[in-house]
Amino acid sequence: MFNYILRRLGQMLPLLFLASVAIFTLVSLQPGDPLDELRMQNPMMTPEQFEALRRAHGLDQPIHVRYFKWLGRAVNGDLGRSRTYGVPAAEFIFEQRLPRTLVLTITSLTIALLIAIPVGIFTAVRQYSAGDYTITFLSFVGLSTPNFFLGIILLYLFVIFIPETFGVRALPPGGIPDLMWSDVQVGRATAGEFIRQWATHLVLPVFTLATGSMAAWTRFMRASMLEVLNQDYVRTARSKGVSERKVLYKHALRNGLIPIITLVGLSMPALFNGALLTETVFSYPGMGRAIFDSLVGKDYNVAMAALVFIAILVVFFNLVADILYAVVDPRIRYD
Amino acid sequence: MYRFVTTLVLALALGFAFAGPQDNSLTVGTSQEPVVLGDLLNVLGSMAIASEVELWNYVGLYRIDLDAELEPELVTEVATVENGRLVITELPDGAQEVEATLTLRDDIVWSDGHPITTDDVAFVYELSQTPGMSLSSPDYYARLGVEVIDEREFVVTWSPAQSSDLVGSPIPVLPAHVMRPVWDDVQSTVAGLDPEVDAARIGEIYRGFFTDFGSPAAINEGRTVYNGPFMPVRWTPGSALRLERNPNYHLHPENQDAYLRSVEYRFITDTNALLFAIVSGAVDVTSSVSITFDQALSPQITARAVDRYDIWFVPSATWEHLDINQFSHLQQVSDLMLDDVRTRRAIIHGIDRQSMSEALFDGLQPVSHANVSPFDFTYNPDVRQYAYDPEQSVAYLEELGWSRGADGIMQRTTEDGRTVRFELEFVTTAGNAVRERQQQFIAEDLRQVGIEVRINNAPASVVFAPDFLSRAYDGAWTGMFMFAWVSSQASVLNAAGYLCRNAPTPENDFAGQNLGGACSPEFDELRDQAVAELDLDLAVPIYQEMQAVFAEELLAIPLIFRSNPFVVTQGVVNYVASTFNQGYGYPPAAPELVGWVQNGAEQVFDQADYGELYE
Repeated sequence: MFNYILRRLGQMLPLLFLASVAIFTLVSLQPGDPLDELRMQNPMMTPEQFEALRRAHGLDQPIHVRYFKWLGRAVNGDLGRSRTYGVPAAEFIFEQRLPRTLVLTITSLTIALLIAIPVGIFTAVRQYSAGDYTITFLSFVGLSTPNFFLGIILLYLFVIFIPETFGVRALPPGGIPDLMWSDVQVGRATAGEFIRQWATHLVLPVFTLATGSMAAWTRFMRASMLEVLNQDYVRTARSKGVSERKVLYKHALRNGLIPIITLVGLSMPALFNGALLTETVFSYPGMGRAIFDSLVGKDYNVAMAALVFIAILVVFFNLVADILYAVVDPRIRYD
Repeated sequence: MYRFVTTLVLALALGFAFAGPQDNSLTVGTSQEPVVLGDLLNVLGSMAIASEVELWNYVGLYRIDLDAELEPELVTEVATVENGRLVITELPDGAQEVEATLTLRDDIVWSDGHPITTDDVAFVYELSQTPGMSLSSPDYYARLGVEVIDEREFVVTWSPAQSSDLVGSPIPVLPAHVMRPVWDDVQSTVAGLDPEVDAARIGEIYRGFFTDFGSPAAINEGRTVYNGPFMPVRWTPGSALRLERNPNYHLHPENQDAYLRSVEYRFITDTNALLFAIVSGAVDVTSSVSITFDQALSPQITARAVDRYDIWFVPSATWEHLDINQFSHLQQVSDLMLDDVRTRRAIIHGIDRQSMSEALFDGLQPVSHANVSPFDFTYNPDVRQYAYDPEQSVAYLEELGWSRGADGIMQRTTEDGRTVRFELEFVTTAGNAVRERQQQFIAEDLRQVGIEVRINNAPASVVFAPDFLSRAYDGAWTGMFMFAWVSSQASVLNAAGYLCRNAPTPENDFAGQNLGGACSPEFDELRDQAVAELDLDLAVPIYQEMQAVFAEELLAIPLIFRSNPFVVTQGVVNYVASTFNQGYGYPPAAPELVGWVQNGAEQVFDQADYGELYE
């Protein structure tokens, strides 16, 4: 196993190198460069002055030279500065955007799981009951409602309709609060105030983001549990007099959860990608917007930092998944 | 349970209570967030929202008021020939040099109380002259000189000078006493690098210098000082920027407590979410970068305006137009005779621009007849105007040998015996719904006169890339291209857009703004006369003549001037914008006078004088 892990880690390096080459090339092959707009705005700029500007931005060199310069600095931990935001790209991605995205995605994932698993079990155990039909109906509604649409409807409900009808403003119209944990640390705000502000800002985007996964996982949980509940060992457990509760939670659930664990595992890299549409609707400054804006704005350093980081995550989680298969299933062995 | 829910709802509601008049604050909603503040040389690029926010924090030597007039801000008076502070001399090559002698006021200090002196001017000049500094206007700073006489007096020189040099502050001012020590360190670092090999590294270090004083972290740590009526005290990236009154600003009114104590810019990047914020009252006013024109006219906003907020439409100098490919060596161009002014006249007569403005913009975006805003002091109202006249349009086409085919589209036989249909490519930015609606309108009108439009849209990043935009010469686009130019008074005076020599061709390495290759030697001659005429009274008639030539020759097809929507909560006074206020039309005219009438703020400026109220 140890050798296998070492071998896989060794394979990761050329893979990541190729991924970074591909990303850099694609990003650089976009039409135009970041200075085009400037040139258009200022027709009085001479070609020499424009060339000096391109040199100052490192855009006068061919793609491969720029790539190896980027790579040389990146392996030393310097991912360059964001052209758009001025700050170091690493700081922008890992200190500003990633934590916010993780707050949003992990919260919504947790809520989705906490609701989907018991509801899925319920619908499997009470198959074809009124409750099952109702939840199935709601699940399909959740699955077929696009996030951006649900987000706008929720915004309308909580930001316009309820305040206008009942005279209270309960939730903010998107964005993030002007309160960071550092404010609590320096005594500028209380922990309660911090939690209240973040909770009110997160409730709508989290609900929007959780809805789709919640609906999908409820259906998967139901199907998986139904399959397990019809297995021989469950029938055997029941026939030898094990209580229904034990049958359900000790025998069936553990096996019924395996497909859900796989699905959740597969969605791990997506936690870091952010959720572009939800972030856009709620003006939530997370990774999704960062990646999108950096590509549109030709902010190469940010785009590279974010995309290569995600490539690393994908490769890493693949390795973790492979290792976990061996841990979970004794029949799988790596040499 | 009921008590719990009630308490929770009340607690949440209190958190978002309308704060404006209660604590004399103003919340400004914007869809863009600045990158840094204080990059007054635009080394990191220019962003509209950064310029707008900086109006509250930094003042210049002059201020451009609502009527686009210069007022002294940090100096005792504006340099003019009449007061002897502006001296024009002839250079041996026939060009002119201008010297402006300026004197700083003696009551001006930075927010830390340190006096503002000529050292601060000289410092910015030193930055601007540093090789490798990525200025956005290197051409301007290459002609600029600054000589310090004493702590208060200095001389600015433009050589050779252009008329546009006399618009706006000659040079920004930054706090040398705070920034120079860091700049000295930066210089030491750069001294160890090779300018040829390490140009990009040097550029990054220089850009980092400005970031180190203007980034959110720098703002929050209070690394620099300000000379405007407000100073940024807290910036939460992605959320908000809070400004507080600068007690050391020299032009605060005596009863300053009647005016704003603080301002908060809320960054809500999605304009739909911003619209929700306006309707819900979470923002008091909108910035110049906020909801779109369409959204400002949407029932969600307008239906809730009564007794709550005003919706203003302020004319801007952003000019929507159709550039026409006039590179006659291209077969498509010569087949359609786009390089013949009669074809362009046929096109403009065939478009009902007035109806389009009324149908799509409630008439709030005025039809343009040339490329200069009616609010510019050089505007010529008497240029040739082309009314909607389909018959005249058809007459022009017939004069050129076109006749309607069986399908109603014009066709003609070329000299080499080919039959060509009048099928015109029409490019604009895909995804820009407003433009795409105009495009449909124009296409339908043109079809009526026998011109078939072939739409070829692509995203802005594609059509505005130089490989497309600046390659009309190579036939990247062969017909019409609809987009907008954003003007300031200075760029109007520069008037370089439609010069023959600014057509992107292989000879000039495809540089220049004259994208379609329009060319009128008369226009070029007038322009060169106009920029060299430093007496603006004498220059204005020349600029007006240029507009007349522009309209006569139809160097491009003028469509409309855009209007910027502003939502202003009732009770807020002096949050006023105009077409050229502070150069580009950003609000407010005088930040120190913005306030709430409920708190005793007096109205000095009236938006009704500079815009139209939606009713």
